[in-house]
Amino acid sequence: MKKIAIYATVLALSGGALYSVIAAENAAEPAAAAEAPKEPIVCFESRKGASEITQQEIKPGWPNVKCSPTTGAALWYGDPFEGTVPMGKMPGLEKLPEGHALVKPRSGKLNILPMCGTACHNGVGPQFNPPKLPKGKKPTPIPTMEGLVPDVKDLQHGRGRIWCLDCHHTTKRDKLVDHFGDPISFDQPQLLCGKCHGDKLRDWRDGIHGKRIGEFASNGKKRWFTCTECHNPHNVQDGERNRGFIQLQPEPSPQLPKGMANADHEKVHPIPNH
Amino acid sequence: MIPDEKAPTELVKTPASADPAKAVLKTTRRDFLKSGGMLSLSSLVGTGALMAQTGDAKAAVEWAEHFQKNYRLMTKEEKDEARARLERRYSAEYGKQVTVDTTDAQPGVLMGYALNIRKCIGCRRCVHACVAENNQSRGKGRPGEKIEWIQVLRMERGKFEQEKMDHGYPEGLGIQVGGNAYTPAGQVLEGQYHYNPEKVPEADATYMPIACMQCEKPPCVKVCPVRTTYREPDGPVVIDYNWCIGCRMCMGACPYWARRLNVTTPVLPKEEMNPVTHYLGNRPRMRGVVEKCHWCLQRSRHGRYPACVEVCPVGARKFGNLLDPESEVSKILERKNVFRLKAELNTFPKFFYFYD
Repeated sequence: MKKIAIYATVLALSGGALYSVIAAENAAEPAAAAEAPKEPIVCFESRKGASEITQQEIKPGWPNVKCSPTTGAALWYGDPFEGTVPMGKMPGLEKLPEGHALVKPRSGKLNILPMCGTACHNGVGPQFNPPKLPKGKKPTPIPTMEGLVPDVKDLQHGRGRIWCLDCHHTTKRDKLVDHFGDPISFDQPQLLCGKCHGDKLRDWRDGIHGKRIGEFASNGKKRWFTCTECHNPHNVQDGERNRGFIQLQPEPSPQLPKGMANADHEKVHPIPNH
Repeated sequence: MIPDEKAPTELVKTPASADPAKAVLKTTRRDFLKSGGMLSLSSLVGTGALMAQTGDAKAAVEWAEHFQKNYRLMTKEEKDEARARLERRYSAEYGKQVTVDTTDAQPGVLMGYALNIRKCIGCRRCVHACVAENNQSRGKGRPGEKIEWIQVLRMERGKFEQEKMDHGYPEGLGIQVGGNAYTPAGQVLEGQYHYNPEKVPEADATYMPIACMQCEKPPCVKVCPVRTTYREPDGPVVIDYNWCIGCRMCMGACPYWARRLNVTTPVLPKEEMNPVTHYLGNRPRMRGVVEKCHWCLQRSRHGRYPACVEVCPVGARKFGNLLDPESEVSKILERKNVFRLKAELNTFPKFFYFYD
């Protein structure tokens, strides 16, 4: 009883103060709401640092995407095809109707890609006069590249047995390279990755590996997630990850039964000193 | 479905006496009750007609809903009526144009689901995508106000080693193979889904999401006393929420802990409500009815992937048409190592777990 009495007094005393605080908050709220639309909500799709999507209303009450307030991850797709382009030629997918295989272009997210062929690897400049291109694929330290892309400092892809030019084109630096030395677009990394990971490519083509969104019918219109939207090719043996995936923050856990603050009691044996 | 011509004749039929004159003169107890019943019924109908004309969409709809048939027995017209009624009600309630779909199962489709148990990282994005799509209650305060259909179980990556025999979960009970007196095997404990680390996946854990398995022989359907839950021809087990009496028999019968009861009035903020709904799917529920996963009927009936499939960041979730040999689920069944959860119960789930 005493406790209740104390609480009651405290409540009564703080009541007045609380009221003014609430009133102040209410006044502040509309201002915040007015400012909010200026800051677009951007959420990441598969992994942080890969493809992103900006939230916007496409119909009244129907956003293109819902983002998690906790982790900033995409949680729900209103429009699965936003920002996509046709995948282009892909061996094994010829049966799909035209325009039913879509991808989100990766080149837009690769910050230094537009500069690759123009600023440095442009065929002019001191090191290209006379032009000297790497004769072989033997690794040599490239401090400038390591500065731009820190992941390549300790490239563990292939356990140190492959190097830049196994995947990147020797002369066309804004392209990847296939087995014949022909360029591959950065938007079609599956053609490159499938050179070695053939089993994964087959599973990806059949929809078993990786992710597709849109229509579920086997010949339906789908957005296909390409290899590099989920995997960072420069960083495949990171210590921070378990079982192939970079660790990420989980979404909030579900509600516990009434009166249970956590589930720690479960870890203790029900019979003491057992 | 059932012709209604007979019903009115039966109602006006005079009672048992063979002599019509006698029957008119003699007022039996049965007659009295019957006429009283008719009177009260007609007054009810009158009130209903009056109420249906009021501007209060909610009151009018609730009234009509009381006299609504089980969804499976409703004719096309009755379905359309119910649909218009609900659209009106929800639009008024949530302040936006809400559609209630009544699309039937499409021929040639049998939905199936597969989940790559090796890939799941336990991030719970599927859980929250499901909530965003399916209009579950999302209150924070009172117990039972937050409803999630998918549970992601965290499991110890145990090893059968002599010195680790005592290290199971809970600690001290050892690695549980057949269960024991305190925690029967198969029991899901709170700690198994209430994990909350900084980052997932944890090194010493595997994750196993569970939800409704859409069984081919669903125990929940067997026990439902009002036959309100049933298997649709294209696979999913659905609930006609209007006929659910909240008895929770199905919750007890389900071996996969898939069903949830709306203990409280569902908390569904207007701005978070998904306006694209299906009658048997994600339309807002009322208090006291059971709900569960239905593979996003409002999406999948129109060919779209369920919400959980679309957000899984690792692509562990797969959905497709089991009758189509080219679909991803058919390919998985053909090529991968597949198991069903609790296959020994002969529920024949259409939800398959697989691993590379």
